[in-house]
Amino acid sequence: MAILGADYRRDLGIRSYPMLVYILTPLVAVMLQAWLPRLLAGYAWFDLPLVVTVYFALVRRDPIQGTLMGAGLGLFEDALTNHAIGINGVAKTVVGFLAGSVGVRIDVENRTIRLLLTFVLSLLASAIYLFIHHFLLGLDLEWSWLAELMKAVGNTVIALVLFHLLDRLQIRD
Amino acid sequence: MESFFVRYRNLVVLLVVLLAQIIGLAMQVRHTDSGRNLVDAKDGTGVRLIRLWADWLVTPPEKVLHGSKLGALNLWDNYIALRHTREQNQDLQKTIDRLRLEQAALLEDARQGQRLQALVDFQQKYIYKTLAAQAIGSSGTDQSRVFYIDKGSDYKLERDMAVITADGIVGKVREVFPHTAQVLAINDQSSGAGVILETTRIRGILRGNSAGRPQIVGVLADQRIQPGEKVLTAGGDQIFPRGLPVGVVDRVVRDPERDAFIDVIVKPAAHLDRLDEVLVITSTQPRFGSDQQQDMATSESLKGAEAAAIKEQKKASEIMAERLPGLTDPNAPKPAATPAPASATGATAAPGQTPAAPVTPPAPKLLPARHPDHFSPGAASTPLPDQGTSTPTGPESKPAATPQSKPPVKPQPKPASKTPQTANPVPPSPGRIQ
Repeated sequence: MAILGADYRRDLGIRSYPMLVYILTPLVAVMLQAWLPRLLAGYAWFDLPLVVTVYFALVRRDPIQGTLMGAGLGLFEDALTNHAIGINGVAKTVVGFLAGSVGVRIDVENRTIRLLLTFVLSLLASAIYLFIHHFLLGLDLEWSWLAELMKAVGNTVIALVLFHLLDRLQIRD
Repeated sequence: MESFFVRYRNLVVLLVVLLAQIIGLAMQVRHTDSGRNLVDAKDGTGVRLIRLWADWLVTPPEKVLHGSKLGALNLWDNYIALRHTREQNQDLQKTIDRLRLEQAALLEDARQGQRLQALVDFQQKYIYKTLAAQAIGSSGTDQSRVFYIDKGSDYKLERDMAVITADGIVGKVREVFPHTAQVLAINDQSSGAGVILETTRIRGILRGNSAGRPQIVGVLADQRIQPGEKVLTAGGDQIFPRGLPVGVVDRVVRDPERDAFIDVIVKPAAHLDRLDEVLVITSTQPRFGSDQQQDMATSESLKGAEAAAIKEQKKASEIMAERLPGLTDPNAPKPAATPAPASATGATAAPGQTPAAPVTPPAPKLLPARHPDHFSPGAASTPLPDQGTSTPTGPESKPAATPQSKPPVKPQPKPASKTPQTANPVPPSPGRIQ
């Protein structure tokens, strides 16, 4: 994407951000995801790496970038758990790919669409996680769809704020 | 070919990334003999390396955040919240005075309890070496109830060390990194701790459910299990010392998969969601002081002396029982005793007396009447019609005078003794041949 010119990006509606944003935003998301649940006790109904993945995949309109970012953040999340590494990675890989693919076809400036997409993709990530953990790997797992629904709602609420903040960091041509 | 990859490069990249992750997943899961799939408890080298990188990347900012939080709390606690300190100090001084008195009494009880505990080999309950650590981070997901502490292999932490708080158990060390360690909490679905209910003494395995509540699984339905009962560690899992508080029974639910079993939901004693400082049990080896060792040795020697004394006492009571036949129950079935030798049954009778029957069983000995009358055994002045001459034998008369208590005994041939034969002082019984 670096070889694309400003006019081309403007035509496609592809946003660009400072490199520091690309590096720090996922890192902060993972770090807060690991730290905040300790403060919020049992009310940590959110998945910040997922929100960040969806955002960058949408606004960059690039399935490959979404795929790689989702895989990286998912593997990072897995590395902090006691589960097998790759479950979250696969889930977020698919989410990143879908968000990047959809971003080409929809108006990413519309907040309602972005929030709705975040909600749906959160539930999809939970479903993929369950599918891999329970059906593909055959591991025991008790599951609560209510908790996943709450997490999807939490992600949507966070996206409402985070998307607005990140929108302000984009590079204006 | 090139156009294919260019045209479908998005899908190709997706498939490659997915395939690589799925292969990696397959390498981490193994199939057990019981038919279940499990993630290896000990990570492989590659997996451990990934976890190490993630830990290395996340831990420093978390430590900074945690330090900032502690700094803010310290500022608040030490400067802003110090109002009314003087009054509180006076109240606390009074409390200290009272507690010192209570402590003196409790200390004596504790010492006694420790000695008794050691005697019955409950030494593993005692924790002798712990390491304080700060909880600095979590896994970030509800499906994995693990958290990170700020001590690692640099403090000689090892896998499977128990992690507790003053309130109760928290979990065990799952992974150790150079400066941090990953702790698996007891409310994780993959955790397991042996526990026992304090009152009903029902044992079970504690693990977490999907809601993050620890529960005892695989317990047979039992009406005695009631909410509020304390749950303690059983000590059989080689991780948690026995007797540590786990929590209290919150409620009992039926096992959805097995009808005869129940799941006991436990309210944990430790605040698993709000952990700050924890203690890692680094050693459970008994480490008694010199005084305690001396007390234990004394107790052991006393225990041996006491056992010997009990044995002697038991032996003496048996001898007394033999010498005091009157204390035995005359109606009790007689033991199949071997025939006594003649020398022991009257072969050496005194002169002027006939030797007693050699097979005379031990008859109960009656106590002498202080004022004998007609009804006193052996004091009847009027002989019975079918009786011959009866000689009152006085207080020393044997109860063999009564027909009911004297079994018929055949006349024995005169032993070859040179003692003069005299009349048998024992009154004849009805069945006795004169």
